[in-house]
Amino acid sequence: MSKSFFIDTTLCTACRGCQVACKQWHSLPAEQTINRGSYQNPEDLSFDTYKLVRMRETVVDGQLRWLFFPDQCRHCYEPPCLDTAGDPSAIFKDGSTGAVIYTANTKNLIADEIIESCPYNIPRKAQDGALAKCDMCYDRVFNGLAPACVKVCPTGAMNFGDRAEMTTLANQRLEKVKNKYPKVSLLDADDVQVIYMVAFDPDLYHEFAVASNNAFDITRHAALRRMLRPITHFASRLL
Amino acid sequence: MEVTRRQFIQISSTTAAGLAVSGLGFDLVPVKAHAQMLKTRYAKETTTICPYCAVGCGAIVHTSKRGDGRVINIEGDPDHVINRGSLCSKGAALAQLVENEERVTTPMYRAAYSGEWKKVSWDWALSEIAQRVKETRDSTFQYKNSNGQTVNRTVGIASVGSAALDNEECWIYQALMRAIGLVYIEHQARI
Amino acid sequence: MTNHWIDIKNSDCILIMGSNAAENHPISFKFVTEAQQKGATLISVDPRFTRTSSKADIYAPMRSGTDIAILGGMIKYILDNKLYNEDYIKWYTNAPFIVGKSYTFKDGLFAGYDEKTKKYDNSKWAFEMDANGVPKMDRNLKHKRSVFQLLKNHYSRYDIKLVSQISGTPEALLEKIYKTYGATGARGKAATIMYAMGWTQHTVGTQNIRTMAMIQLLLGNMGVAGGGVNALRGESNVQGSTDHCLLWHIWPGYLKTPRASNVSLAAYNKKWTPKSNDPLSANWWQNYPKYSVSMLKSFFGNAATKTNDFGYDWLPKVDDGKHYSWLDLFDEMYKGNFKGFFVWGQNPACSGAHAGKNREAMKNLDWMVNVNIFDNETGSFWRGPGMDPAKIKTEVFFLPAAVSVEKEGSITNSGRWSQWRYQGPKPLGNSLPDGQIIMELGNKIKQAYKKDKGVLPEPIVSLKWDYLTNGEYDPHKVAKEINGYFQEDITVSGKAFKKGTLVPSFAFLQADGSTSSGNWLYCNSYTEKGNMAARRGQKDAPNNIGLYPEFAWCWPVNRRIIYNRASVDLKGQPWDKEHWVIKFAGDVKEGKYVSRTWIGDVPDGGWYPMQNPDGSMREDSKYAFIMRKHGHGQIFGPGRVDGPFPEHYEPIECPVEKNFMSSVYTNPTAPQYGTKADIYQTCDPRYPFVATTYRVVEHWQTGVMTRHQPWLLEMQPQVFVEISEELAQLKGIKNGERVLASSARGSLECTAIVTKRFKPLRIAGKLGTVVHQVGFPWCFGWQKPVSGKEESANLLTPSTGDPNTRIPETKAFMVNIAKI
Repeated sequence: MSKSFFIDTTLCTACRGCQVACKQWHSLPAEQTINRGSYQNPEDLSFDTYKLVRMRETVVDGQLRWLFFPDQCRHCYEPPCLDTAGDPSAIFKDGSTGAVIYTANTKNLIADEIIESCPYNIPRKAQDGALAKCDMCYDRVFNGLAPACVKVCPTGAMNFGDRAEMTTLANQRLEKVKNKYPKVSLLDADDVQVIYMVAFDPDLYHEFAVASNNAFDITRHAALRRMLRPITHFASRLL
Repeated sequence: MEVTRRQFIQISSTTAAGLAVSGLGFDLVPVKAHAQMLKTRYAKETTTICPYCAVGCGAIVHTSKRGDGRVINIEGDPDHVINRGSLCSKGAALAQLVENEERVTTPMYRAAYSGEWKKVSWDWALSEIAQRVKETRDSTFQYKNSNGQTVNRTVGIASVGSAALDNEECWIYQALMRAIGLVYIEHQARI
Repeated sequence: MTNHWIDIKNSDCILIMGSNAAENHPISFKFVTEAQQKGATLISVDPRFTRTSSKADIYAPMRSGTDIAILGGMIKYILDNKLYNEDYIKWYTNAPFIVGKSYTFKDGLFAGYDEKTKKYDNSKWAFEMDANGVPKMDRNLKHKRSVFQLLKNHYSRYDIKLVSQISGTPEALLEKIYKTYGATGARGKAATIMYAMGWTQHTVGTQNIRTMAMIQLLLGNMGVAGGGVNALRGESNVQGSTDHCLLWHIWPGYLKTPRASNVSLAAYNKKWTPKSNDPLSANWWQNYPKYSVSMLKSFFGNAATKTNDFGYDWLPKVDDGKHYSWLDLFDEMYKGNFKGFFVWGQNPACSGAHAGKNREAMKNLDWMVNVNIFDNETGSFWRGPGMDPAKIKTEVFFLPAAVSVEKEGSITNSGRWSQWRYQGPKPLGNSLPDGQIIMELGNKIKQAYKKDKGVLPEPIVSLKWDYLTNGEYDPHKVAKEINGYFQEDITVSGKAFKKGTLVPSFAFLQADGSTSSGNWLYCNSYTEKGNMAARRGQKDAPNNIGLYPEFAWCWPVNRRIIYNRASVDLKGQPWDKEHWVIKFAGDVKEGKYVSRTWIGDVPDGGWYPMQNPDGSMREDSKYAFIMRKHGHGQIFGPGRVDGPFPEHYEPIECPVEKNFMSSVYTNPTAPQYGTKADIYQTCDPRYPFVATTYRVVEHWQTGVMTRHQPWLLEMQPQVFVEISEELAQLKGIKNGERVLASSARGSLECTAIVTKRFKPLRIAGKLGTVVHQVGFPWCFGWQKPVSGKEESANLLTPSTGDPNTRIPETKAFMVNIAKI
């Protein structure tokens, strides 16, 4: 059975334990940053930053909200990046967990195509052209541990487990907070293995909180490769 | 120390997954470490309590049993009844506090009017400090105050710190300072 | 904390005011969240909308420094609407006590104020005593000089309208908060307060907290699960280091540092041992001599004997009425009155209020010893901004300390839990555990005095100093010393004990030298049963409220919720049947209790309840608040130096020309200093904006431990000032621009964060004025990041503070902001 995250943003305090735990576990270096008039830093995901708590201040119905969105790869059921790549030695989906894994061979891909294909704007390129993003802490999960960002979370905003367990939890939480937040929703829940719950219009949190139709406007080269891809590759969804 | 009850999440068919991956027949050496073997597998595990705020969260320190014997990972202690494995960003970064190349690892001395530090030995530093304590104490010691009451105190030395010490260190620290006769003893609780 | 972290989950209403728990105590939100999910209301009151506020059900802005006005308004609301727990205040608090005729309060001043010394004579606030020397009481709370009636009278002025005019908090929000919080006066309901330096760092800091404690007493929220008064302590062992009293005015276990007038041990014990004539008052501090003598035995071992007053004279005495506090210490240093200075794991060049004064002061030292993990702005003050090393005489020794995970020992968290840590890796390079440094330094000093006598060598050569094992500092030996030993074979309360064995608890300590204990509060922490702080038992207590009594160890005697005798009614049965802390389970015969059994937490004294099941009073019971001389929680607090009831005064630097509450402008007893560096500018058009300081989750204190960590610096790389969009427009400042902040004392270059989270407040009513507030994190210093431009916000803060604690007022002062 595949794994899923459930990210309840209504419980996130932006302590950013997840952001650091991710760097710690993956031994990722820090980036040089400056204060740009916001607490959010780094400014964006990068080859060295797989997990980023996005922070936005907004007024909803006359009330100030400080919205936190712990952004990461959604580990799509049908990952457009994987389809675009068409090279299982570079991007593959682990059959048991469903984790979408990038290897060093991503440097042989056309990075911009892969990035553009992602409806959530996740993958990022290194100088040598290799791509990186969240790997679901595949090594931890394989050894029976929760991903670093989930284990570290104090409030229950980050959750991880079997798909069925996570969808149940997501629906329970949805029901529970409906009174408090009438516009609460689960984002693209059927298509991804990282289910976000947001209290307000997802656009208020982040431009790419939900899948953008534009993102599927993949390049011609990518479309071509997609057509040539062996059909067996669809199998991952069915496992 | 006993680490009794790890709450591992249930993972089904992980072994199969591992086989499936390695059986694909091409190089899967990933960009970063995706090794199926945990980096903490052959490490010594000790429990600790986070040194930052006073919530008192538990953490597990993984120290390499090989090579230099340094920390390779620190993460929340799932058996700690307060934090249950969770940590904040500072706690999650603990390993970087320990394994930090900017730490000072040898005593240093800055002479009067000097523009630089120089490295010194522990024995030299502590002997010099002890000598200054004695000189200052002996020259500023007050047996009596202006009312003629016995006060037996050293007014030429002050000491501040520290909530960063362990309880046992705090106790011997204050005992030493008070035995020397200090009255100006203060620390973080005052600010 | 009277309660502890996990207990927050039992609360029905959580007030976070004077703290920002989500950012500075992030894991507390595990329990705040759990309580909210069970239906609790979270209230955040803060000048600035924080990450805590983002999770609150009610957020209210306020002007920094007006907490007493806001809380005083809550007291009035609780009294007007009779929301208090009447039985609780009648029996457990001093609400029924009769205050003497000399007590008055007129237009902001209490009786006994001396204009010249700026001090109160608090004997004017004493309780009236009966012929036996027991306070007179009116349990019906009707007497016009009863505390209850005086309280009503005092806070009758704090109506919502006036409070709103002072604080700038909208009236409707105040009423909503009062109503929500006040509702927990109902039996079985509990509210908790989570506060920190946002309350202590004011010239009315102690009274801020007292106002809240009074609210908790009125509502019956002290001693219960999900209640209490909870100081969120900011450092991992600031609780333990305070318990061991690394402070000028107290000895380990909160014993008093002897005053010069305490001319002998007998005089000292007599002075500081409170006496109660009320047989129902446990007056626990009557045991004071047992604790002081046992402590001296730990200091001096066999050299402490009856004939030499156990070495009492060897320890330093302070002058009566003089302060030796942080602000005073740096004032003395600034005046050149110290030669030597030790700094252990601290960074006063950035952490102390008025950091510029502190840095100047350090130039006057002959020598400094700086013990730390990293070099810091204090040890390297001589090469800091504006310093010329060639002109600075101070010799500095830097001693590199091990990090916590490289050594073994215990620390005590905010919930009073002492927890044991183990050594992972060995200390890096030649760094050493602080314990090793202290032991070796002690040995060197001892050797120096053995070789060449010098002045009064006895305390140094007689200091018991046998805490090494094979040349290495041994924390177990010290932990046992702190717990204490029997010094001879003795029998206590019918139990025989052998010389050299560990004392099971402080109930067995003696005043005749037959026991030692380095700190009586920790007696029970390391016994013949083992190291209690190292326990990891996962089982909860039978009440199932998250006490985890077998996990670690908590003072006193593993009592997880203190004042828990107030969690039960007079018959010993819990107010809250669901989240009960303790309950009396003794046998009953003919309506009377005939055997003594409490279950749940360790009770605050195991005496019988006040009443039998048939309602008859028992004479063998004790009042609930056993640490108070008269056994009652103090709604009226005559022991404070600035008044028995909290009263609103303006901060020393403020934006208003008068106090709307009375004609006394600022706290009349607040200390101020007189060097040329000490400048205070109130209502000065050059410094028009209210400023406050705070921390962020990503850094810690002055940032010495965190600024060197790339992962943390990545998230918060630069010092900033948060300002409202309105103020930004007024000053032409754009988000992310560098600006210069200045106060009467110094200036600070920082990055502007223009935010909706600060809003201008209208104070003094509709025709009043708009107040802008700004805030700075104080976690930076010139040394790191290496640009040298990210400096300490304490360059701006003033050296004034609370008259009781002398904690500096760094949470409300005046600044200006300008584009660079």
